[in-house]
Amino acid sequence: MTLLRIGGITKRFGGLEANKGIEFDVEQGTIIGLIGPNGAGKTTLFNCVTGFYAPDDGKVVFDELDITGWPPHRVCRAGIARTFQTVRPFAQMTVLENVMVGGLLRHRQTAASRTAAMEVLEFTGLASRQSMFAKNLTIADKKRMEVARALATGPRLLMLDEAMAGLTPKETQEAVDLILRLRARGVTILLVEHVMEVVMPISHRIVVLDYGQKIAEGPPQEIANDERVIQAYLGGRYRAPS
Amino acid sequence: MEQTQVRRPPRALSPQRLVLFVFMFAALAYPWVFRLPFQRRLMVVVLLYAMLGQAWNILGGYTGQVSLGHAVFFGIGAYTSTLLHLKLGVTPWIGLPAAGLVAALVSQFVGYPCFRLKGHYFVIATIVLAQIVQALFTNWDWAGGALGLRLPLLPESLLNFQFFSTKLPYYYISLALLAIVLAVTYLLEGSKAGYYFRAIKEDPDAARSLGVDITSYKMLAMAISAFFTGVGGAFYAQFVLYIDPESVLAFKTSVLIMLIAVVGGIGTLWGPVLGAFILIPLSEFTRVALGGAGRALDLVVYGILITLVAVFEPRGLWALGERIKALVARR
Repeated sequence: MTLLRIGGITKRFGGLEANKGIEFDVEQGTIIGLIGPNGAGKTTLFNCVTGFYAPDDGKVVFDELDITGWPPHRVCRAGIARTFQTVRPFAQMTVLENVMVGGLLRHRQTAASRTAAMEVLEFTGLASRQSMFAKNLTIADKKRMEVARALATGPRLLMLDEAMAGLTPKETQEAVDLILRLRARGVTILLVEHVMEVVMPISHRIVVLDYGQKIAEGPPQEIANDERVIQAYLGGRYRAPS
Repeated sequence: MEQTQVRRPPRALSPQRLVLFVFMFAALAYPWVFRLPFQRRLMVVVLLYAMLGQAWNILGGYTGQVSLGHAVFFGIGAYTSTLLHLKLGVTPWIGLPAAGLVAALVSQFVGYPCFRLKGHYFVIATIVLAQIVQALFTNWDWAGGALGLRLPLLPESLLNFQFFSTKLPYYYISLALLAIVLAVTYLLEGSKAGYYFRAIKEDPDAARSLGVDITSYKMLAMAISAFFTGVGGAFYAQFVLYIDPESVLAFKTSVLIMLIAVVGGIGTLWGPVLGAFILIPLSEFTRVALGGAGRALDLVVYGILITLVAVFEPRGLWALGERIKALVARR
């Protein structure tokens, strides 16, 4: 079943077309990697889907519901949660309180939200940090907390914007681990990453953007050998070893 | 590493509760210990401003939307109850909540355009709107114009909300109003709205991504804040029995309301109370000590105090107290 359909999204900033008619589907229960060099338009696309930008053209359909141009809080209520490329913790709130804010979307009472948040903290391995102020966490834990916070809203689709950038290899492995457990829990995942090595092994399908356009889409093996992708990443002088 | 306390169910007599009871007792006993009209009047003003500071704090402190136009709600509250009384003969006891409701209603019209602006631009918009409202009332003859409105003197009674032989009833009414605002703030702190307010203050975009309808919640914070500020304005009108645009709608009132919360500690339950207990007597005593010639000197003292707070403890004096407490605990 198609959970999210991105239908010809175009977003312009002045004369710059950050997204040009991008089109792809996200099947329920899969992990989709969205890759591309810096400035390819990955984050812009994220913002168009989650309502932070209104696309100039095209449609976003989530679970057969046209959510194009919906404000972020309604998109979230519909079942799409996201994290940010640069972490945005509620710095002066504790880790538990941060996650509770997410939990309050589905729970009116703070007590119920606290219970739900504790469950998410256990799942993400942050339970021991629950009473720390978010500002005092390490970068890896802040990113993990953002995932926990997003997860607490009870999403069906989780969109992670560079959840692994800037992490050490060990932390990256832990993050990958978490993503795989999320999928096992039934959450569909759309992953932005420009480090190919991380995305390749865990993604079912990969979508490659360059200069605002989709240049390739397919299973990881295919993408790794795709002429245009290699060009986009390494420049025109390099050719895939045959 | 910093740790916050998880709110536990209060024990029968925790130290915090004990301190609270001591303060409550002191508040109830104050007018019987300090019997001079000046002493009682001063404390009425302190309690009124503590209430106004806390009302501001709900919007400015917890939700992070700094308003420098709260005189609008204060003034509209004062004018609402006064005009209701003068034109329709409505008792101030109905005028008080009516003042809050009208202020809250006006706040929604103010909030709608202002909340499209962020940070400094929001602050500027609130200042400009307050100036416009003051100009409107100054030129509105039906509402007394620049001359203001005088409430007719009635026989003193609880029913008439006028007391002359003793300030005692005013004292207890202002104390009750403050208690109500503190109770509402306390309940908000632990509620969904309270969490959302703080999330909006910390990072509005992150809040939006977690399903928080930030405009609606800002409007809610504004409505609660304006309601109590309006009630405070109505109380002021009954206390002074004379209002004009300069006394209830001026910029300096907006500044004072904000300062009380900022100096005391924004986003805290007791900060504005602390702020009022420091700033109001301070301005009274500097005026007494320096006489009429030193008219602006209380403002100079304010200025110094704000600078000190901003440099050494931007979270306000309440946070300073917590820091000292933590230091003592570590010894």
